[in-house]
Amino acid sequence: MKTIKYIIILSVLFFSCKTDKKEVKKQKDNEVTVYTHRHYPVDQKLFAKFEEKTGIKVNVVNAKANELMQKMKTEGKHSKADVLITVDAGRLNQAKEDGLLQSISSEKLNIQVPSHLRDVDNQWFALTKRARVVIYAKDRVKPEQLSTYAALTDEKWHKKILVRSSNNIYNQSLMASIIAHEGVEGATKWANKIVKNMARTPKGNDRDQAKAVVAGDGDIAIVNTYYIGKLLNSKNAEEVKAGKGVGVFFPNQKDRGTHVNISGAGVTKYAPNKENAIKFIEFLSDVAAQKVYAQVNYEYPVNPAVAPSELLKSWGEFKEDKLILSDLGKYNKQAVIVFDKAGWK
Amino acid sequence: MKKKYLNKWSFLTLIVIVIIIIPLLSIFLKLFSGPGETWQHITETVLIEYTMNSIWLIIGCTIISLFLGVTSAWIVSRYKIPFQNTIEWMLILPLAIPSYITAYAYAGIFDYGGTLELLSKSLGFSIVKIDIMNIFGLIFVLSFSLFPYVYVSARAVFLFQSNRLIDASKVLGASELKTFFKIALPIARPAIVGGVFLVLMEVLNDYGAAYYYGVSTFTTGIFRTWFSLQEPKTAIYLSAILLLFVFILIYLERLQRGKKSYANNSKSTFKLAKLPIKKSEKYLLFGFVSLPIILGFILPVLQLIYWSLLTYSDVLNTSFLTTSLQSLLIAVLTAVITVFFALMILYFPKWNNSKLLKNSSKIAILGYAIPGAVIALGVMVTTIVFDKWLINTMTKLFNLNISLLLNGTLIILVYAYLIRFIAVGFNPIEASQLKINKNLSESSKLLGKNNLMSFFKIELPLLKTGIFSALILVFVDVMKELPLTLILKPYNINTLAVKAYEYASDEQVMEASIPSLFIIATGILPIILLNKIILKR
Repeated sequence: MKTIKYIIILSVLFFSCKTDKKEVKKQKDNEVTVYTHRHYPVDQKLFAKFEEKTGIKVNVVNAKANELMQKMKTEGKHSKADVLITVDAGRLNQAKEDGLLQSISSEKLNIQVPSHLRDVDNQWFALTKRARVVIYAKDRVKPEQLSTYAALTDEKWHKKILVRSSNNIYNQSLMASIIAHEGVEGATKWANKIVKNMARTPKGNDRDQAKAVVAGDGDIAIVNTYYIGKLLNSKNAEEVKAGKGVGVFFPNQKDRGTHVNISGAGVTKYAPNKENAIKFIEFLSDVAAQKVYAQVNYEYPVNPAVAPSELLKSWGEFKEDKLILSDLGKYNKQAVIVFDKAGWK
Repeated sequence: MKKKYLNKWSFLTLIVIVIIIIPLLSIFLKLFSGPGETWQHITETVLIEYTMNSIWLIIGCTIISLFLGVTSAWIVSRYKIPFQNTIEWMLILPLAIPSYITAYAYAGIFDYGGTLELLSKSLGFSIVKIDIMNIFGLIFVLSFSLFPYVYVSARAVFLFQSNRLIDASKVLGASELKTFFKIALPIARPAIVGGVFLVLMEVLNDYGAAYYYGVSTFTTGIFRTWFSLQEPKTAIYLSAILLLFVFILIYLERLQRGKKSYANNSKSTFKLAKLPIKKSEKYLLFGFVSLPIILGFILPVLQLIYWSLLTYSDVLNTSFLTTSLQSLLIAVLTAVITVFFALMILYFPKWNNSKLLKNSSKIAILGYAIPGAVIALGVMVTTIVFDKWLINTMTKLFNLNISLLLNGTLIILVYAYLIRFIAVGFNPIEASQLKINKNLSESSKLLGKNNLMSFFKIELPLLKTGIFSALILVFVDVMKELPLTLILKPYNINTLAVKAYEYASDEQVMEASIPSLFIIATGILPIILLNKIILKR
């Protein structure tokens, strides 16, 4: 019995290997392989649309950006990846520095993606934007009390600030932007004071911070706009209540602007299907696709021809920090060191 | 009989061991190049915290899982309680839920606007706020989802090994308490410690739950150092330290097991009579053993069901069905291959005469103690070297242009699972093997049968229960596995665990409930089966 079972299973194994290989050969002609950290239903819909429109098959590998980059490094020039998509500029820049991406020239992309939202060497291009804002409990805090990220260190916020762990890339990018603007010393001082003002040890995700504000664990929190959109459209009535209980404030409007981060894409250095990869990125940043991102996923579109969704508009227009996004990658490691020193868990 | 020092089995042992440990070795070797430049920063700032949190977790989870596992095992094997049979298998069910999912569910229960709050509101109680997202909450979640490892091993001994002695002790007039501490516990100790060992390995490997609860442990530290500080070198150094610690644990576990042998010639069919107790005591004990089931399984599952009712329309579709099927097939395939390798690791060294090989074969089961992500990277590094070599030779010899043969295929994923879970398959098989009387196979060999013949005719039938347990445990573990799968899965394949993670990492914890429930459902049936197997033997 057992031997028979083994034989069956071994043959299944061999069989599956064979079909694997066949498939690869068949698809080689017209496909694009995407390594992506984005795993939203809206992305899958857009990929399907791209397949429909161009006849190019989209293969998707989903994982965290760091893991995907490690994978690409190990695979080297044999990598099957054509496009790398991450959810922050820091990682894209890291990928560029590690020599994982290549410069491309595309008239379409130059029009569709504003220059400050793409790499200076055209190695990567933003697809969507998110702002890292301060949210406040509408019943306890007036927006007039808020002004800048720096002002959050004020003593009036003692034990009132909620923010997630410094393991999170959005916090790391925010810190990197502060290092870029104020230097390591300034950033360290800022982090030390924020830690003193924290209402609790950092934990949970951005949604949890918003809920904790409404629950009264603290008065204000640092979160991404994207997640407030998610809360307001949740299927859970309590989450919607939490979303409605907080107001969105864009810090630093009078000076450098609110910190924004992007999700973006680049063509990989050894892309076997370079042309398809360019077409793919062009497609994702054109008006039709950008509208879908804006409407469905509560993200700000990068294409200037597309307006944000009604919800995002209701929070008001804001001035964004035009810091060169590659700086976020440059100072990422330093940011983590600052966090560690400040005891920001 | 002439004994050769090395024979073909030595050779085969070597091959199997090498296949399994090369990826680990490739990571381990980097240890000698020392830590990276951030090492000093880490020792000055966060290392103590990582270490202390991990130690507290180990202590807390050991105590609670020991208490829950041993007491519940003792109660169900000694007393007749209501719903006896159901309780017995339900106590294993917490293992069907990945612990990070349990963690999410509990956060959802105690959250703002969470289930507890809604319930207390609707019942008119004042709201009690319990903050579970801290190290105590983490210990609670991990212990209640992992204690069945202890329960299963302790019960097996209480029922089948110490039963006669327990009976004798009672006949001789020893009190119940004395029997427990003087007879039952010492005999069950190796098995119980083995169970605790499995719990601790899972605790050390946990990433998802600790990360979400904001507890910095050694493992979250490895990820942070690797990816946020961008220092793979230092991360590997940290992994190596963790590995060293695990070595010590393994050594201690082996040491306490000692040279005791539990071989039993006659298959024990003796059933211990259940103690008569008062009705009130019955319900008290029933309540006691129900508690870990409720907290470790029923509550989190109810929370998940509640979430799935809110979100099923967005999640359930044909691609979800495909994902489920792929998950199942991969898990079955991996389970079979892993058991095959576990048998080879167990038997090949026995058939050769090299002491060194006999002792070193255990190295192969170390994978269980190493974080999945580290294994994944090790496997990738090794197979890439192989692939590149293959490409080069092919181009040189035949002028053929081929692409990466192994990488990005199912083979690599299953290979990595094999390394990670070989211990899970190995332990139950070894446990049943230890009970086989050595004389049996030796007589068979004396009668002129070779190693393989004696194995298939004599030992394999006796190992049946161990093999089935191994298949089931590996299957359930593969269904739950996350970090390794994330890195190595081929692009045209998805698993339920990855699906759940994708939702959760996008802060759509509610949507993650449906793939989670599927994982749990596929785990329940095998676990019930496993329980039947344990009882039958």
